[in-house]
Amino acid sequence: MDPLRAQQLAAELEVEMMADMYNRMTQACHRKCVPPHYKESELSKGECVCLDRCVAKYLEVHERMGKKLTELSLQDEELLKRMQQGSGTA
Amino acid sequence: MAAPPPSAPGEPAPPPPPPPLQYSLLLQHLVGDKRQPRVWDPATLGGIPCPPKSEEQKMVERVMESCPFKAALACVGGFVLGGAFGIFTAGIDTNVGFDPKDPYRTPTAKEVLKDMGQRGISYAKNFAIVGAMFSCTECVVESYRGKSDWKNSVISGCITGGAIGFRAGLKAGVIGCGGFAAFSAAVDYYLR
Repeated sequence: MDPLRAQQLAAELEVEMMADMYNRMTQACHRKCVPPHYKESELSKGECVCLDRCVAKYLEVHERMGKKLTELSLQDEELLKRMQQGSGTA
Repeated sequence: MAAPPPSAPGEPAPPPPPPPLQYSLLLQHLVGDKRQPRVWDPATLGGIPCPPKSEEQKMVERVMESCPFKAALACVGGFVLGGAFGIFTAGIDTNVGFDPKDPYRTPTAKEVLKDMGQRGISYAKNFAIVGAMFSCTECVVESYRGKSDWKNSVISGCITGGAIGFRAGLKAGVIGCGGFAAFSAAVDYYLR
């Protein structure tokens, strides 16, 4: 595949991916760290600390899963290439 | 890939199917080595738009939410409160300037003031230390747990009471822990 075309496509997809990830991360971390008691409007220290940790973990998970998915798709492509070569020469 | 459907005679040939996506290359651009660092603005990603905080504001907020600052604040507050409490109790205490040879002698103003000052300072120091210890341990416990509920005050009350009482022996430490924990639980219940 053309690398320039891949870069353009990736740029378009990245915006959508980041927006989706931001929304999911906000929802998940809010559900986990901010209990629905709402006695005061300010975030307490414990909640701030929890949110920091939640975001850091979420981003790290996102990065690791992305790398794992890249590995898996590389393996898939190798397999596909070998199958095509095999069927081509056969 | 499926073969393109046979076109009816006379119609132009259907466009060739697009080349298959190479996912590994795309993923490398998205999350891998070829990803370009970008500036992300929460407003464009779907958050509520708000002006970004300046560095000074962030620094001030970080200092004001930090544990040492809270401990210092409690120390100063405890000092003031302890001083007031000490002076007040010195005022209602009738044991000042007692002379065994002359039990009915009224104490001089100098003696009374000196006693008030000493008592005030002594109470102020004690309250300041206790307040600083309690605030510091509560902040540390809350940072560790990541939650903000009543258990933080109880745990830090036990630690503070235990540390104070431990100087007089283990049993006094245990009693101090229980007493202070109950006291801070009651205050927390009242405040929440």
